[in-house]
Amino acid sequence: MNNHNVWATVFSAGTFAQMLRSATPVALAALGGLMTEHAGIMNIGMDGMILMGAFVAAVASYFCASAAMGVLAAVAFGILIGLFFALFTVKLKSDEFIIGCALNTFALGVTAYLSREIFGLSGTSGYLVPCLPDVTIPLINKIPFVGEVLSGHSVFVYITWILVVLMWLFVYRTPVGFWIRASGESPETLRTAGKNPERMKWIASILCGVFCGLAGAHLSLGYLNGSFVEGMSASRGYIAFACVIFAAANPPKAYLAALMFGFFDALGLRLQDYISSDLTGTIPYLITIVMMVYVVVSGQKRRERLARQQLKKIETP
Amino acid sequence: MKKRLNVGYLVALLISLAVALLIGAAILAISGHNPLVAYRALLGGAFSNGRHIGDMLEYAMVLCLCGLACDIGSRVGIFNVGGEGQLLLGAIFAAQIGVWLDGTSAWIAIPLAALGAMAVGGFYAWIPGVLKVKLKVNEVITTIMLNTVAAFLCQFLAKGPWKNANKNIVAGTGNLPSAFWFSKLVPGSNLSTAIIFSAIITFLVWYILQKTTKGYEMRLTGDNPRFALFAGLKTDRIVIITMVISGMMCGLCGMFRVYGAEHIYKSSVSNEYYFEGLMVAMIAQYQPLPTVIISLIFAILKIGAMGMETAAGVPKQLYLIIQTVVIFCMAAETGIRVAIGKAREKRQAALDIKTRREGGAAHE
Amino acid sequence: MTDEIRFEHISMEFPGVLANDDISLSIRDGEVFALVGENGAGKSTLMNILYGINTPTAGELYVRGEKVTTFSPKAAIDRGIGMVHQHFMLVPSFTVAQNIVLGREPKNAGVLFDNRKAEKLTRELVEEYGLEVDPSAEIRDISVGLQQRVEILKTLYRGADILILDEPTAVLTPQETDELFEVIRRIVREKQMTVIIITHKLNEVMAISDRVGVMRQGKLIGVEETKNVNEKILASMMVGRPVLFDHLEKAGEPGEVAIKVDDLYVADNRGLPAVRGVSLEVKKGEVLGIAAIEGNGQSELLEAITGLRKINRGTVAVCGRDATNHTPGEIRDMGLSHVPEDRLSTGVDKLASVADNLLVGRQKEKRFNLLGFHQRRSTVERYAEELYRKFDIRGAGIHTEVGSMSGGNMQKVVVAREFTFDTPVLVISQPTRGVDIGAMEFFHTRIIEKRNEGAAILLSSADLDEVFRLSDRIITLYEGKITGEFSANAITKEEIGFYMTGSRKEGEA
Repeated sequence: MNNHNVWATVFSAGTFAQMLRSATPVALAALGGLMTEHAGIMNIGMDGMILMGAFVAAVASYFCASAAMGVLAAVAFGILIGLFFALFTVKLKSDEFIIGCALNTFALGVTAYLSREIFGLSGTSGYLVPCLPDVTIPLINKIPFVGEVLSGHSVFVYITWILVVLMWLFVYRTPVGFWIRASGESPETLRTAGKNPERMKWIASILCGVFCGLAGAHLSLGYLNGSFVEGMSASRGYIAFACVIFAAANPPKAYLAALMFGFFDALGLRLQDYISSDLTGTIPYLITIVMMVYVVVSGQKRRERLARQQLKKIETP
Repeated sequence: MKKRLNVGYLVALLISLAVALLIGAAILAISGHNPLVAYRALLGGAFSNGRHIGDMLEYAMVLCLCGLACDIGSRVGIFNVGGEGQLLLGAIFAAQIGVWLDGTSAWIAIPLAALGAMAVGGFYAWIPGVLKVKLKVNEVITTIMLNTVAAFLCQFLAKGPWKNANKNIVAGTGNLPSAFWFSKLVPGSNLSTAIIFSAIITFLVWYILQKTTKGYEMRLTGDNPRFALFAGLKTDRIVIITMVISGMMCGLCGMFRVYGAEHIYKSSVSNEYYFEGLMVAMIAQYQPLPTVIISLIFAILKIGAMGMETAAGVPKQLYLIIQTVVIFCMAAETGIRVAIGKAREKRQAALDIKTRREGGAAHE
Repeated sequence: MTDEIRFEHISMEFPGVLANDDISLSIRDGEVFALVGENGAGKSTLMNILYGINTPTAGELYVRGEKVTTFSPKAAIDRGIGMVHQHFMLVPSFTVAQNIVLGREPKNAGVLFDNRKAEKLTRELVEEYGLEVDPSAEIRDISVGLQQRVEILKTLYRGADILILDEPTAVLTPQETDELFEVIRRIVREKQMTVIIITHKLNEVMAISDRVGVMRQGKLIGVEETKNVNEKILASMMVGRPVLFDHLEKAGEPGEVAIKVDDLYVADNRGLPAVRGVSLEVKKGEVLGIAAIEGNGQSELLEAITGLRKINRGTVAVCGRDATNHTPGEIRDMGLSHVPEDRLSTGVDKLASVADNLLVGRQKEKRFNLLGFHQRRSTVERYAEELYRKFDIRGAGIHTEVGSMSGGNMQKVVVAREFTFDTPVLVISQPTRGVDIGAMEFFHTRIIEKRNEGAAILLSSADLDEVFRLSDRIITLYEGKITGEFSANAITKEEIGFYMTGSRKEGEA
């Protein structure tokens, strides 16, 4: 085995292009998941939302013969599923975990059932559905390496970049963003400020549905070039959830986390001859756990430090 | 403590089941099937012959073990979502121990495999347990992460170091020597003597939770940890040990899948079965007896649905829809009941004050 | 002066608790009004009604002559009411400025949050009112004293001219308290604001308020001009109860030391020092009573002794064995039982039955176990029935869920369980809080019985009459320090009031 070859493979343009591709559906869902996370709802139902979004997009695209209609339908469906999720978690105060879990299984069942009814017993649509276009970026595509990495992807790869910026602005630079964050971190504070925290949770839940719908639409119409396959979300909802936790629900950081997952995914494929992709696949999850421990421990340290400062002030008048 | 398992719960469960079946029927009717024919085929699929009944019981066993593993965790206030990973690791280690011990007596190999599966599953549950107790790291999230890690690890082992010699099997351990197989109770089905062990475990879990002093201490810990600590219980230890036992049960369940049904470790050992067991436990409100009953209902639905697919041409995934609608109905029912209760309390309070005031005025 | 706020026959009932009972009260424009009373007297509930968090179950509220019909914080803010809660209403990850403008954010271009403007507005407020704080610091990084300033600034930003402060000094150092009072005086003088301050520190009432209202058990006991009362009078209004008790027969001489506390330092939940160098001894056959106004370290002291709270410095010994930072279970084994202050969170499993709650701590005893593990339900139930009768618990029997019982009966469950251990040491906190007179007499008799049998009893109670009635010796705690130690029959309630409120220390008298 040649060391030089390994590094060349790892840092080839193909790896990074693949990283972008793998990261995009996860990042889209993570953008939704960070809304519910900010609103204090533990949302592990994203996988089901993505899967149903992918299915709705494929079906709408199939019957309307238009990928744009597919995306639109997925967004509309996302709003509905967000409302459904909020109805249980916010209004009826059900256990978030139970509802998320049930949503995932429900999605698995309902998409498989309906796709078999619509597309036949194989349960996949084949490549029958109109798909989303790929985008070639002029000029940049001429640059060696960079062009290979950045250009020629499905349109949602680029839309995601815009959405990351928009979401960052929304979360950290608009009043509603502040209210949503307050509704999760300290709902009573928001209530005493005269805003209804439950309403913020509804908004967050709907946004999450929309983003997961988009992630699904991208998955069936962009990532897989216009086909629906049973269970095609393939745990991306859980990965998105991990990204949200990892990034402390910050949009750009969540995108970077998605890129990290994408990188290890791409790496696994590229390095198959040297090291098992299954081993490299575990790395992002292990890092996420370490991050969680770090966040908790550093929070405790911060509190201890504050208490010590306070003590000093009292003891030295 | 009969209160948690009252008539109201039973009624809610039955109504939820009925609603779910009705919604299922509506879906069937819309997609052009005769619901009655389909449901008859479903029942036939579960009960028409011994093989079906055997498969159904084996699946009920898996759901029941997973559900009980979740039950005991929730009894002490910890939520083991990582059963899937614990089950997979238990299964692959048990399979590989069997491969290694080829040629030895089954009396040696099977207990060792069971111990190995339990050790691995228990260890894998110990990690999130300690993180939760010592550092207050959310166990739900860590166990979800660990599930994926375990799935990757098993995939790695099954494709790499422990791979089957047969090139046609892409991911799977070596074949389990037939001397170690659990005897089939119904030939041709998945049902093996593992169900006897499972029944014993089920009984033990029920017995420990409901009838022993340990179960009593576990309940105190889960209900109010501060009170349990105040009363002198070592709550940290109770939670961690319970979590480890929960993991051991999942690991053992993985071993049963390999030694009773699959006779090899491959991905079909579990297809997120633990999550179905989790849903069973949720619907059963983490009580052992309802867990057993709902495991049976879910198993009938699932195995029956396979028969329904062959006999009536209805996609089997209908059962997933029915199962989850039951959960949604139960959740909605609880939410509505709580809301009604709150409204009633408020009205009662207003009434109380009114009567008190009038009564007080009369006194003076 | 006009009436700014008028409560008329306000009642507020939570499930099972009548928090406010027919309260009528007027607060005048431009005054500092102090509302005092023990924990659970209903002060915060009443103020939460004014701030729109609670909707009263009965009665009417008028603000500036207008009847309040919609109860919500938003409506209250619009009426010019601001409240600083006991538990701060701040978002930890937001900056000071972001917290202050929350709900009414300045925007640029009509959409985006204008952080610069928020900080500028904050700085203006800081300068106007002299409440120094860094607008761009995150809340989780600043001290509680500063956090409280942010709370006050927040209400000022919202244009409040009626300010409610709920226990504002509970978390402050003495210097910070002085600064706060300076601010209150200034805003009343210069901005003509009306300030309502909830507290149980009587020296502060005297220092800051124009008028004072005293609450006890949900009722308004009286409203006085502050200059017409003193701390002693207020203390007796706060804790006094009709004394209709018979004499309690105390017998026997105190024996050996059973609890020994040496130079103890303990922190409260926020990490602030709550107990500061306390040393005490309790002998067998005596009751040592702790007299202190709520929040002066008595809760933390008892929790530290019984193993529920970490000890930072000093030692505790129970029956001659070191109990410092041992687990509650280990300390129980040394021979200590504990009736905790907060029975709902610490004293019972409210989801479990009466029988299961009575058994706790004895579950491992041989008679309740068959073969060492099987719980003998019939024996458990017989035992529970016995205690149920002996301690006159009234409810729907031993299978009732404890959470559904009244406070008095719940307390009987706790006392029945703890007293039956027959340990040489008993730590008892607030034995009769929320309990009716009849049950109170019952508990008192039991406690004295225990004392006469030779138990060492450490008692803490907010009810001064109770402390006097039961104790052989009394210590007073003020701000985490012992201010005096007395033989119960050598001091009067009036005198002890001075020591409890920190206005006199031993040796100064």
